[in-house]
Amino acid sequence: MGVLLGRIDDLGRFVTSNIEYTMRVLLMVYLSLRATILDQAQGLRTIVSVLAAQVYFTGWQALPLITTLALTTGSVLVLQGLSNLTMVGGSDMIGSFLVIALSRETGPLLTALVVIARSGTAVASEVGNMRANREIEALESMGINPLSFIVFPRVFGGVISVLCLAFYFNVIALLGGFFVTRFLHDIPFNFYADSLLQAFTMDDVLIFLLKNSFSGMIIFIVCCYQGLSVKKSPHEVPQVTTQAVVNSIIYVTVFNLTVTAVFYMNQLRNMGVI
Amino acid sequence: MNAAQFPRIESLRFEGVSFKHENHDPTLQNCDFEFPTGRVVWFKSPEGAGKSTLLQIMAGLLLPDRGAFYMNDKNVIDMSFEEFLPYRLQIGFTFDYGGLINNRSIEDNLLLPLLYHKIVPEGDAHARVRSLVERFEIKKFANERPAHVPGRVRKLAVLLRGLVTHPQVLLLDDPSVGLGEGTQNAFVDVLNEMRAQGHLKHIFISSYDERFMSLMSHDIVHLDGGLLYHQPGEEAAPRAVGQ
Repeated sequence: MGVLLGRIDDLGRFVTSNIEYTMRVLLMVYLSLRATILDQAQGLRTIVSVLAAQVYFTGWQALPLITTLALTTGSVLVLQGLSNLTMVGGSDMIGSFLVIALSRETGPLLTALVVIARSGTAVASEVGNMRANREIEALESMGINPLSFIVFPRVFGGVISVLCLAFYFNVIALLGGFFVTRFLHDIPFNFYADSLLQAFTMDDVLIFLLKNSFSGMIIFIVCCYQGLSVKKSPHEVPQVTTQAVVNSIIYVTVFNLTVTAVFYMNQLRNMGVI
Repeated sequence: MNAAQFPRIESLRFEGVSFKHENHDPTLQNCDFEFPTGRVVWFKSPEGAGKSTLLQIMAGLLLPDRGAFYMNDKNVIDMSFEEFLPYRLQIGFTFDYGGLINNRSIEDNLLLPLLYHKIVPEGDAHARVRSLVERFEIKKFANERPAHVPGRVRKLAVLLRGLVTHPQVLLLDDPSVGLGEGTQNAFVDVLNEMRAQGHLKHIFISSYDERFMSLMSHDIVHLDGGLLYHQPGEEAAPRAVGQ
């Protein structure tokens, strides 16, 4: 009985610590937004310069990796989709299959993973080093709020970058995937394009915006939060960076799963199944 | 933000202030203290007693666990970042180590507080920084980033950034460490000149350097057992300017 109660205690501690962490991260979203609105000294020029650097690093410099990933993923899904659907006489469903598999599910997840690996780590270690080097303290001592000066432009720039990268991923995966595998199938492009256009709905646009914008926000707010959690010593920086990656992946995947689950539950409800 | 918007800081007072770092003895324990104003004050204590922490609390960089810190009879502990900003811009703080923004040049570090808050027009800000940089003969490092300059220049840049806004309160944490005697003397000359012009009304210094402190007339405040004790007036040894 004592062992069981101990396990329940552990579970309770785990749940409450995770809820507390989530609340702290959400609070930082609000505080950075609040600080940016109230910071009368920070000009648009300051925000735009950090934001542009963030978009350049997170978005533009990630294009080669995203291109490779989009082409390979797109090719695999086009091939698998066409071969399997053709066998069951449903090749005209290729558009629906790709929209669901690529645009709704794989695209947002792979884009988020690339951004976490490339930029999330960079932001967490950059902010962590700033903390260890007392740059954050220095900004505060000069009356510059780190939440508006450091956090907000990185988060906002991250959201823009993830949205752009995800859009780029979809285009390259859907079109590039078709053309790369062209010599392995004989589907006419007009048929393929028509199937895709018919499959796209407003729901897909909504899911695209929801998943990607929130993934961008989650990644950069978690990474900034972890970076700012460095107390004094540079030896903490690799630890918080690792933690930032782990937490970002968990939050992004859980969020994606939640959106997908809510969407399909809603779809089943509309169909009268539940 | 222009000078008319800044409060004139007349008094600084602790009321029941307590502060303790995790796993350390308390730095301050229910401390009531009226800080001497209008002069240079030297914080003395045994090593590790918490002088830097005391300066950080006075700068609003650390919040005490308990108690109130009054500036002009206003408890600044309860203020938000934005409410405290006018006070903060009248406090210059210099770090014992680190504190420079690494992705900006030395000159940009000095310009940052002036330009961010538009304390003076851009041209005046550049002129003010240029004159300090030339006076301390660090012009050749002005466009370098902190990682590429000698430690003496980094320390000097942190010190100069603390006073470039001409604050009323200046908090110096181990200012002489890493500086040569000539630079220390030149820095004290700048402090004296600025005081003569009506800036840096209240200077608080944490230091172990008897020689550096002997360059200025000062009061002593002892930090001992979590409490502060004031020991008035010690005159500086006479020294010619620039010596």
